[in-house]
Amino acid sequence: MKSRHRPRTCLTWALASCMLFLSSHRLLADDPRPVATNAKSTGAKLDYVDTMLRESWEETKIKPSRRSSDEEFLRRAYLDVLGRIPNIAESNAFLKESEKKKGKDREKEGDRRGKLIEYLLNDPDYAKNFATQWKVILLGRKMQQREVDPAALTSWLRRQFAENRPWNEFARDLITAKGSNKENGAVNYNLAHLADGAINLTSITTRVFLGQQIQCTQCHDHPSNDWKQADFWGINAFYKGLKREEFRKANAAGVEMADHYELRDEPTDKYSTFEKRDARLGIAFPRFLDGRKISQKKDVVRTDALGEMITESTNESFAQAFVNRTWGHFFGRGFVHPVDDFGTHNPASHPELLEKLGQDFQRSGYDIKALVRWIMNSEAYSLTSESNKQNEKDETLFSHMNLKPMTPEQLFDSLIVATAAHKTGGDDQARRRDQWLGQFVMAFANDEGEESLSFQGTIPQALMMMNGELMEKAVGGRSGSFLADLLERGRFQARGPIEAFVVNNLYLAALSRYPTSRELGTARGFLANNPDTIGVMEDMFWALLNSNEFVLNR
Amino acid sequence: MSERLIVPTGMSRRHFLGHMATTSMAIPAMQFAASLEANAQQLRKANKSMIVLWMGGGPSHMDTWDLKPDSEKNGGPFKPIATSAPGISISEHLPTVAKQMKHLSVIRSLNSKEGNHERGTYMMHTGYSPNPTVVHPAFGSVLSYEIGEKLENFDLPHCISINSGGEGAGFLGMAHSPFVVNNPNGKIANLEPPSDVNAMRMARRVEMLRLTESNFLPNHGQGAQDHQAVYAKTLRMMKSRYTKAFNLNDEPAALRDAYGRGTFGSGCLMARRLVEAGVTYVEVSLGGWDTHADAFNTLSTRLQPELDKGMGNLVADLAQRGLLDTTMIVWMGEFGRTPRINQNGGRDHWPRSWSVVMGGGGLKGGQAIGATDKDGVDIIDQPLGVMDLVATMSKGMGIDVATQYTTPRGRPIKVVDGGSPIPQLFG
Repeated sequence: MKSRHRPRTCLTWALASCMLFLSSHRLLADDPRPVATNAKSTGAKLDYVDTMLRESWEETKIKPSRRSSDEEFLRRAYLDVLGRIPNIAESNAFLKESEKKKGKDREKEGDRRGKLIEYLLNDPDYAKNFATQWKVILLGRKMQQREVDPAALTSWLRRQFAENRPWNEFARDLITAKGSNKENGAVNYNLAHLADGAINLTSITTRVFLGQQIQCTQCHDHPSNDWKQADFWGINAFYKGLKREEFRKANAAGVEMADHYELRDEPTDKYSTFEKRDARLGIAFPRFLDGRKISQKKDVVRTDALGEMITESTNESFAQAFVNRTWGHFFGRGFVHPVDDFGTHNPASHPELLEKLGQDFQRSGYDIKALVRWIMNSEAYSLTSESNKQNEKDETLFSHMNLKPMTPEQLFDSLIVATAAHKTGGDDQARRRDQWLGQFVMAFANDEGEESLSFQGTIPQALMMMNGELMEKAVGGRSGSFLADLLERGRFQARGPIEAFVVNNLYLAALSRYPTSRELGTARGFLANNPDTIGVMEDMFWALLNSNEFVLNR
Repeated sequence: MSERLIVPTGMSRRHFLGHMATTSMAIPAMQFAASLEANAQQLRKANKSMIVLWMGGGPSHMDTWDLKPDSEKNGGPFKPIATSAPGISISEHLPTVAKQMKHLSVIRSLNSKEGNHERGTYMMHTGYSPNPTVVHPAFGSVLSYEIGEKLENFDLPHCISINSGGEGAGFLGMAHSPFVVNNPNGKIANLEPPSDVNAMRMARRVEMLRLTESNFLPNHGQGAQDHQAVYAKTLRMMKSRYTKAFNLNDEPAALRDAYGRGTFGSGCLMARRLVEAGVTYVEVSLGGWDTHADAFNTLSTRLQPELDKGMGNLVADLAQRGLLDTTMIVWMGEFGRTPRINQNGGRDHWPRSWSVVMGGGGLKGGQAIGATDKDGVDIIDQPLGVMDLVATMSKGMGIDVATQYTTPRGRPIKVVDGGSPIPQLFG
């Protein structure tokens, strides 16, 4: 399959470079950064990914799981790319296609999956989903500071993903963002972490963009890797020029309120101070992690300099941090795990593979969609999540798909797709939807805003899923609901017995698969033995939506 | 030293595996209830409980436990009254609590560094200042984790927060974060199925759920099992007779009036019922102490009367029921308030020298520990830090003060880091 060429012009790049040149002094005279338009045309698949993973399985005598069924792959791909399960029509479209071609060879199956991947990457929900994820990475879920506008950041992120902006440009725009937080949504990232002398900003920027956990060194040298206390404060000093200003405006009622915030980075000669372990005072001027320093005079916009140093093409950890995090998104864990903790204390499971992928990502012009294609078209991504006797102990080598608990946003969007719950019970759908989403994020967001392989279930979550208002609406069989419609359609459309039609569609809606013959038999039994058809349907749908199979992305 | 690796998983035990049908349906109801009864009794014998009365906003120590009537500039209008503890006087607006002071000790020399609401709240719950590297567990979550290890088959959550969300479990995992009761005078959110789902239908739902999951469980590892375990625990709670502890309607009207029928008074009463049912940690919040302006009016007409009825009757009630010896009470907020009265007739944030109150659970009562100077500004006797409080709570609750966890990211974190139990509180 051929990858589409993205329309990219030299102009944006030239303009950006030019502005950088004017606004700050160049850090490196002969910057070897590739120009985006020169990016190598990349295929949708990289064979070495499969080869190198296979080698690791052979070495450890692990037998990989079988390939996933089309049903399993379909649901996984929708959740990973679009952040929601497929609806019945989408499932039918893909599974009918697969039904027709049953018995054909592997290559056809790969083709079919490849087409699905392309289809999903072109769906507007791809950008929406990745923007939501990255908003959580950059701000967390519980950000409530007045000076931060999470919606503006989310819509900015969405535009970047929709346009498939190269990651290096995209990241540099975040690190160097200035101006109004309303007009430039990216500004909200820096604003959110500015308090307390930008300590949080220092740690999250190195963590997210470089995969380096230097925050422990805020107070002491790192016990198990090379980071020193001065490294932390050297980065921190890049933020000494940031200034926040509040702009107020009269609202409709004539009351003056905060309207927006502006961030400026004023050239400065300030340094960071910190307390050493021996209680002496340390000072730090801007110094990058590799030891390079910039001018200490007022002739540099420091965040611009930092943005350059982090994103430059010679910086391997910049490309690898993104590759590893993205791999982690699709596989439930990165080569380096946790995804943002690189270093000799925490070696990668496949260091050479990570290095090669990082190089190819950089050579592609930091093409995010290309990276997603390479990952999703790999053999490992197509494996089932069911383990076998020879690989059930494997947690690090990707010999079977890891079960990923849905994020609160995925769970919510999937419930809405499966049940159309927001459409029942009167007007004001949008408001109700927002209210439910708020409840979900509140109940399901974990404390650290970090993704986790384990199911972090709590009693309030289970109570909400079993007895909450959204679930009541979702499985309610009142007229106009999904279930009432389904029963109605069954009466007119079903070619076979109506019970089979109903059960098939309930399974498709909730689990994106058809029931097994045993499941079908059991379910038909329930329906046949009870005159209250809609009541049984409600209970059955409730059970499917509350099951571990629904809430886990396999 | 007890040292534990925190595996970031919802439920650390696998005991519930495959037991969903058993726990929720199959055992006849009587037998089921009897076995739980035995469990709860065993728990009461083996473990203590703790009730934190949380004064959100930062309560003024100068107007509650450490009055300075002789300080002309800082004294304020409130008069001290004698209490059942010889030599200890407290605010005139706390007469009910005054009668119980023989059970309680006032610590008048606490010092912390956090004068910001959010940071102070974090510190008083965890013992640590907020730090971008790690989210520390609140003490209630530590108890939930420690007790949860010992007592898996308990019907109710081990850690409950009434009137506020409480602080989280951090790296111990969300399973140990507080179960929140938003309004003790209302219903617990989602505890019961919708009205049209009767017991028969609920049983059918659970049976269908079991059938659905039986197809998915094999070869799907820990995640699928953890999910099932949480559901088993939740279903058990839904069916448990101990959820009656959340229902205050069984209490005599006179007692409810005595505690006060506001959310704080009702919360205190609910806390007593939960402790009786065997719950380990209950936090009851009373907000509104951030009195920068017109403080004395708010304190004397609203906050202190509400506090007095709830706290005073709670201590009396626990004592009368023989529960006080096994139930530690802690009264605290995120910081104290300035000794100086500002131009708006209020006091501002003040973490330098302030008070907390502790008692019950085997702690020695009737004492004043530490002291501030005549104007309430500087500590002149036995300065204590927040970690000393955490150490005291740990020792009192039977948690090894040397307990250390290794976070999922591999970092060692102590429950008590550099503090020691307050000696006078232990006999």
